[in-house]
Amino acid sequence: MAEKFDSLEEHLEKFIENIRQLGIIVSDFQPSSQAVLNQKLNFMISGLQDVEKCRQQLHEINVPLEVFEYIDQGRNPQLYTKECLERALARNEQVKGKIDTMTKFKSLLISELSKVFPEDMSKYKAIHGEDASSL
Amino acid sequence: MTEMFSTLFGQNEAQGPPGSSSLGFGPSKPPPPLPQSQVPLAAQMPPQLGDEGPALRKPGAMNEPFYLLRELPVGNELTGNTNLITHYNLEHAYNKFCGKKVKEKLSNFLPELPGMIDCPGTQDGSSLRSLIDKPPVCGNSFSPLTGALLTGFRLHTGPLPEQYRLMHIQPPKKKSKHKHKHHRPQDPLPQETPSDTDPKKKKKKRDDDPDRKKKKKDKKKKKNRHSPDHPGLTGSQPNSSSLR
Repeated sequence: MAEKFDSLEEHLEKFIENIRQLGIIVSDFQPSSQAVLNQKLNFMISGLQDVEKCRQQLHEINVPLEVFEYIDQGRNPQLYTKECLERALARNEQVKGKIDTMTKFKSLLISELSKVFPEDMSKYKAIHGEDASSL
Repeated sequence: MTEMFSTLFGQNEAQGPPGSSSLGFGPSKPPPPLPQSQVPLAAQMPPQLGDEGPALRKPGAMNEPFYLLRELPVGNELTGNTNLITHYNLEHAYNKFCGKKVKEKLSNFLPELPGMIDCPGTQDGSSLRSLIDKPPVCGNSFSPLTGALLTGFRLHTGPLPEQYRLMHIQPPKKKSKHKHKHHRPQDPLPQETPSDTDPKKKKKKRDDDPDRKKKKKDKKKKKNRHSPDHPGLTGSQPNSSSLR
């Protein structure tokens, strides 16, 4: 998986570097630079072809649209990953808290019901087994 | 059972359990007649909840006092009870991103990328969102430019106008500050020794130097001794003798 990304990264880096050099040539153009400019333009096209080839290898990669929003706002996309992980952990803790509370409530309810309705609760335990109170 | 519940929980429970036939649980004890206004709980439930039927009940529970009894959830099901970050081996990613401060700007993520990339993409129309919303109209393949096509790229000599030189503007980097911070702990001189290169440190050290303070004090005393207003030195002082 990482090799696919490495290949794309390499091609993109080369492409960006070529564009940067093109920008420098164009910013103060000299008559002698025309041949180099033509070469760079064709190199840009071959760079686009390389990137296009990488697309076929990365079909199954899904990128969340929110990441694009971060990039569009000039923010580090790693912040999105960070926020996702923090949010996941917070939700995980919330759910765990709810499950723990409900488990405690259930065992307490069963023990109290066993005091008040011992016969019924013994039948209940016969259906669900001894694990009824532990779950 | 019904009576016991009714004595404990009042009139709401007095209606008793609705008939299992009405729930689709098969033949059971006939339900007690209900008044028109009192509709059984299961009848109020939507069909997908109320009509799940006998499959949810254990066969042994058919004639028991329990109704609407379902199977207990399977214990080994993955829920929020387990730490999902550990479960999916994401501790490394969590420590990487949440353990230390992630820098806010995009240029910190892509330091080698030329141009002002920290500005919002909507300002100059370079946003990725616009690329998705309005994909560029282009052909299926990229073909190299031939001689005839390259004539369209013949440029005039001379520099570009100012407004098109955005490519070379780089965001200011705070490398020097970082360098300073990093090099401080690696300073070969011990902390007790005042460094000649750091004037602030030197000054502070000077003020704190007890010998220097002492010297200053003694000098002042000496001056006062020689002054006409001074009553004179009566005895031998170890401090003053050390100065001579």
